Amino acid sequence: MQVDGSNVIQAPRERVWALLQDPDVLARCVPGVQEMTPDGPDSYTAVLNVAVGPVKGKFKAKVKLSNQVPPESMTLTIEAKAPTGIVNAVGQLVLVDQGESTRVDWSGEPKMMGMIASLAGRLIGGISKSQADVFFGNLEKEAQKPVPA
Amino acid sequence: MTKLPDSNYVAPTGPQKFMGKPIKRVEDPRFITGAGMYTDDINVHGQLHAAMLRSPYAHAKIGKIDASEALALPGVHAVLTGEDMKDVGSIPTGWLLPGLVVPHHAAIAHTEVNYVGDIVAVVIADTRAIAEDAVALIDVDLEPLGSTSLGSQAMAEGATLVHEEAPGNVAFQWEIGDAAATEAGFAAADKVVSLKLRNHRLVPNAIEPRASLSEYRAASDEYTLHTTSQNPHIHRLLLAAFVLGIPEQKLRVISPDVGGGFGSKIFQYAEEVIVLFASKKLRRPIKWAARRSEAFVTDAQGRDHESEAEIALKADGSFLALRVKTLANMGAYLTTFAPAVPTYLYGTLLNGVYKFPAIHAHVTGVFTNTVPVDAYRGAGRPEATYLVERIVSKAAQELGMDPSEIRRKNFIQPQDFPYQTPVALVYDSGNYEPAMDKALGMANYQNLLQEQAEGRASGKKYIGIGFSTYVEACGLAPSALVGQLGAQAGQWESSVVRVMPTGKVEVLTGSHSHGQGHETTFAQLVAEELQIPMEDVTIVHGDTGKMPFGWGTYGSRSAAVGGSALKMALGKIKAKATKIAAHLLEAAPEDVEQVDGTFRVKGVPEGGKSFFDVALMAHLAHNFPADTEPGLEEQYMYDPKNFVYPFGTHIAVVEVDADTGKVKLRQYVAVDDCGPLMNPMIVEGQVHGGIAQGFGQAVLEETVYDEDGNLLSGNFMEYAMPRAEDMVQIQVDHTVTPSPHNPLGVKGIGESGTISSTAAVANAVVNALEAFGINHLDMPYTPEKVWQAIQAARKDMPQAADD
Repeated sequence: MQVDGSNVIQAPRERVWALLQDPDVLARCVPGVQEMTPDGPDSYTAVLNVAVGPVKGKFKAKVKLSNQVPPESMTLTIEAKAPTGIVNAVGQLVLVDQGESTRVDWSGEPKMMGMIASLAGRLIGGISKSQADVFFGNLEKEAQKPVPA
Repeated sequence: MTKLPDSNYVAPTGPQKFMGKPIKRVEDPRFITGAGMYTDDINVHGQLHAAMLRSPYAHAKIGKIDASEALALPGVHAVLTGEDMKDVGSIPTGWLLPGLVVPHHAAIAHTEVNYVGDIVAVVIADTRAIAEDAVALIDVDLEPLGSTSLGSQAMAEGATLVHEEAPGNVAFQWEIGDAAATEAGFAAADKVVSLKLRNHRLVPNAIEPRASLSEYRAASDEYTLHTTSQNPHIHRLLLAAFVLGIPEQKLRVISPDVGGGFGSKIFQYAEEVIVLFASKKLRRPIKWAARRSEAFVTDAQGRDHESEAEIALKADGSFLALRVKTLANMGAYLTTFAPAVPTYLYGTLLNGVYKFPAIHAHVTGVFTNTVPVDAYRGAGRPEATYLVERIVSKAAQELGMDPSEIRRKNFIQPQDFPYQTPVALVYDSGNYEPAMDKALGMANYQNLLQEQAEGRASGKKYIGIGFSTYVEACGLAPSALVGQLGAQAGQWESSVVRVMPTGKVEVLTGSHSHGQGHETTFAQLVAEELQIPMEDVTIVHGDTGKMPFGWGTYGSRSAAVGGSALKMALGKIKAKATKIAAHLLEAAPEDVEQVDGTFRVKGVPEGGKSFFDVALMAHLAHNFPADTEPGLEEQYMYDPKNFVYPFGTHIAVVEVDADTGKVKLRQYVAVDDCGPLMNPMIVEGQVHGGIAQGFGQAVLEETVYDEDGNLLSGNFMEYAMPRAEDMVQIQVDHTVTPSPHNPLGVKGIGESGTISSTAAVANAVVNALEAFGINHLDMPYTPEKVWQAIQAARKDMPQAADD
């Protein structure tokens, strides 16, 4: 199922781009992150506490950033495993310069496998959107923090 | 055929006190008050809990399994993988066909998983919660492989193989009937009607999820397995002899109260093997109980056919021939009865209640990366009935005939019995027209037709009337015959009647009750035959430690086969009791009769011996016939002479809302013939449940896999079971045509409702949609599907859209 959306961050595009490259910022913004550690260039392993519909659980995830075209676009790949199943997602982020603000257009195709597919399959679209809203809401807060010297 | 002493039914001569009476079920008070004792209610000292790590992929290679984190969790005793159990036997298939490919079926997958839900590893821990938490800590490298979920997709060029040993994913090719005679029928036809249909897959959803508890006693090297089963004796045989190599007498299998089976609790499952294995390895009792979400991905599923059928007719509607080609999706492995279901339980029923000069059917069994498919209430016969009854109704519509008249024209007539069909079966008895006439009357058919015509003309109301004039073959069946057909099991049934010194009676049966009400109907039979109160009778079932042999309950065999075994054993008890009474009365046995519970010398109203007197003396043996063994206990093993063939007419009336596509069941009439009714209340209950189940398939239930083999409808939000509000008050009646070859004259009734109702409801919905020029639509008739079909049809018929 294809999901997409747009969220606006009240910060210039370079600032938003920089935030998205910072693992500490991502760890604070991605909903349910318990830990997130870099394991290579633009690659992280993470433990996420996620509720996908009726399925709540701890997901072990691999997160990869690729195809980066600063400060315009990048690809985000997530492979998350839990005992109830697997969620794989490839997402595309496009940062659109709107002067003092930045619009992030995102799209992706989350794919679920295992029992989670039968329990939460129909909910994935709505969940993707609400999780994106949480993520960008957190990112907005990060953007409002003073830029470290 | 040789006539054996028990081969004929004799109708009772006098009034009956218990048989045929609507006696309330003796089981119900304990079920209704929550006092039933199910497997998961049983807890034993020292028991540990198992939780399964199940494959999230439909098809994958198993790489490294790292269980160190799981094992480090406090309370975890062991993690078992396929490596630990690699020397354990394959879970066998109980029915073999020529050329059948039987892939190895390991309890824990060893190198490869083949469906979502296949077991990769097992955690044994102090509590279920710890076991489940530990499952989450196991790290497994799974390398996904290509997968398929639909039969025709698995047969397509280039499809990934589920099992290397099954080229083209073909499990078997099977055919029945006379291809040349069928061709000739088509060559002579005035009209050929064809139908392409999908009989979609169903999830059984018994109310009680499966559970197993194994105890191992090292001192005697014995196992006791409590498990949710319809046939504990079959598990004892399969587990002991084929899987674990335990001597049968060292394994006791007990199925206590079981909350519904519908077939899904016949089969040998992996979890039973695992708890037995683990209980010996860890020297601790091991319990496993399925979560509902596990049940969705592990209980063997039902149906799943893709079929093409053609019927050849004369212009007057007489049938000349039927040709059927079916792809049967078997899922990832062949479970206990799987190969029999789309072959001998399906192809042989394609004749229906009609005179077909020729039939030919070809079935291909296909492996896919899905939950295995096996017998589900009706098992092959609902698939056959749906196909035959759908194509007959479609033929009537295309010929402009009334659907009841085309049936009447082609019915096998009463004088034709026993009737040899072109597809191997010999129907023992039947009388199809009276059942249909009764149903037509109960439905008020002529009024319905008028209402339908008026509704269509007004464009405001679309009602549909659907027929199913079914026959089914149940009460499996002569052992020698099913052996020739590939069964790896006998099909007789056993009964032990044990009269206690006080005259109380314990009956042991190899048949099993998991909703059928044996404790009531079998006690009725005992009370009737021995002229004692029902309260004095206890029916014991579901324990291989008490009852030495039996084959369990499936295929509507309990009354016809298990009940017949009981009737025959009771005959032996009566003969011996009469002999003892005669000795006590100083008369010849032939001069003694039992009247109102008392043994008397014929023509001598005073004196006499009660059943108690006789039972006591049988055990004291103080004053006893010289040539007779003490005691009063008899066993009978009854092997049926044929299947039994219940039949009937069901009429469903639906109303389709053209604006929303919603199908509402308005009326349902069921006239069944199951021979003499042992307990009409229980028969009615079976019919009600069966009809709801068949309606569920037609209108609500659908098992959906995505193209990668993920089950998308794995919960009750996605998988719609029938609810009370979906049903109507069912109008039930009966005709009674006794089966001539069993001593009770009974046929089965456990599956008829399901076998017939899917076809009746489907025919009703399509009949309603004929108003829009639609002449077939695959089930289930969800509002969306029906609405889309109406919209598409209106586009094709612009004048209709203007209405």
